[in-house]
Amino acid sequence: MITVGLPKGRNLGPARAALAAAGLNLDGLDSSRLRQRFPDQDLLGTPVEVLLLKDWDLPLYVEHGIVDCAIVGSDVLEETQPDVFRPLQLKGGRSRLSLIAETPELPKRSGQLRAATRYPTWAARLLAARNLHVEVIHLTSSIELGPLLDLTDVAVDIVQTGGTLRAHDLHEVEVLAAVAPTFVVNRASFHAHRRRLSGLLGGLEETETGGD
Amino acid sequence: MKISAGLPTGVSAALFDSARRRRRLEARLSALLEERGFAEVLLPILDYFEPYRPLLTGRRLEQLYRFVDRDGQLLVLRGDFTPMLARLLAPHLDELELPLRLYYRGDVVRHQPLRPGRMREYSQLGAELLGGDEAEADEQMLTLFFDLLLEARGEAPAVVDGEEHALRVVLGVAGALDEALLAAAGEHEASDLALRIASRDRIAARRAGLAEVVERGYPTDLSVLGGTGEAVFELLALRDRLSSAYRDAAVEIEVDLAEFAAAALDPRIGVGSGPRGYYDGLMFAAYAPGTALALGVGGRYDRVFRSLSGDCSAVGFSFGLDLLLELGAAEARS
Repeated sequence: MITVGLPKGRNLGPARAALAAAGLNLDGLDSSRLRQRFPDQDLLGTPVEVLLLKDWDLPLYVEHGIVDCAIVGSDVLEETQPDVFRPLQLKGGRSRLSLIAETPELPKRSGQLRAATRYPTWAARLLAARNLHVEVIHLTSSIELGPLLDLTDVAVDIVQTGGTLRAHDLHEVEVLAAVAPTFVVNRASFHAHRRRLSGLLGGLEETETGGD
Repeated sequence: MKISAGLPTGVSAALFDSARRRRRLEARLSALLEERGFAEVLLPILDYFEPYRPLLTGRRLEQLYRFVDRDGQLLVLRGDFTPMLARLLAPHLDELELPLRLYYRGDVVRHQPLRPGRMREYSQLGAELLGGDEAEADEQMLTLFFDLLLEARGEAPAVVDGEEHALRVVLGVAGALDEALLAAAGEHEASDLALRIASRDRIAARRAGLAEVVERGYPTDLSVLGGTGEAVFELLALRDRLSSAYRDAAVEIEVDLAEFAAAALDPRIGVGSGPRGYYDGLMFAAYAPGTALALGVGGRYDRVFRSLSGDCSAVGFSFGLDLLLELGAAEARS
């Protein structure tokens, strides 16, 4: 049995599309069920089980070997830094981590800037690399409210289409990093299922919606 | 029974059955080591910090718990057995009769991020073979590594509920990809490329002309590895001999150069670079299904002795005893 972890939420669609294009068709996947088996699908003769988990929890399950492989946002991986293999990133579902403010330029402050983000470690690392030493405020949702309600001067958050920014009259000051759904594999599982996973990864790499 | 509540982060106390099980496992493994002619060494939990500056750099040095003693000496808690043993033995190599077979068991402490299955204090059991013919020593120690793994696992079946339950041992050579990495990425980018290949990044590997390394473990044409191709050729022969010897023991042996891609690239980092830092020749790691971490790692570390002005070939390994106990528990569950 190979257990594949898939993320609930925005990365589920691109993940399923990429896997289907690579030959692992998960038709009938019920997004309300945590655990489902696909007896008709197999990787070189091994049945496949799918676990639907929250993006932020997936790296832990993979690292611990409960899930053999998964598709997780690279934003979550950068923040949590799990000890897992990362063979490839998917083309579909890409976005960016951006510095967001109410003005097109970075606000001028005599003191230290404050930034709201759901990625305190990664954001601090990226901003420090740009010589921006900001006070990072950890929020878990509606990050754009940070600058809008004057909790912070800026926000660091995922931008996909820019629709949320336009709706709130916010500006994308700078793109800090690219974000992509990433195929990750547990270390022990990689060795145990190397040939099987290699076939799937090769398929993902070759498909239009697959890796880059 | 294990208790960690009320204790500092990353440590736990083993009571009753947990303590008994660990001691029993230690006893079984120690008996096997004694039978093979290895003598136990008991090393102190405290040491000076200074000797480790040239031995451990980068992450391993940062992981040491260090403090100033009341008499002003900077001390460290034992974070690794091998460098301590090497630094103690290096000045006495002339007086010792080589080859020397030693083993140890005990706790090490490292300040490291808490990850699944990874504590800050954990028990290790390891063995070192100093001196002697290098190729023979490598094979002897790998054989011992396998036998200890099998002893810890007991009589686990190769297939449980239709699932393969083989132990997997990965072999590599530290620095095997260095020439290819430098040719593909240049001096400044080679370390980053090595880390990406160690993470099995297929796109980076393909661009570097090392796709086969992440897909099957090593290139068909070993000449792309430059000067290290010969060492990998010998490693493949060693794999074949060991695979044949352990065919019936449900141990899968594979050569996977990507596993150790980041081990030796940058000589400026010194002997402590990377997750398995001080190895400079043969490297190996063992995995079991359902475990979060490698059960044990090992390799050749002649460079450690050279950096201590000693001239001695050295190969060794260590196991995480708690991980080996999980292996036994998995067997009981199956």
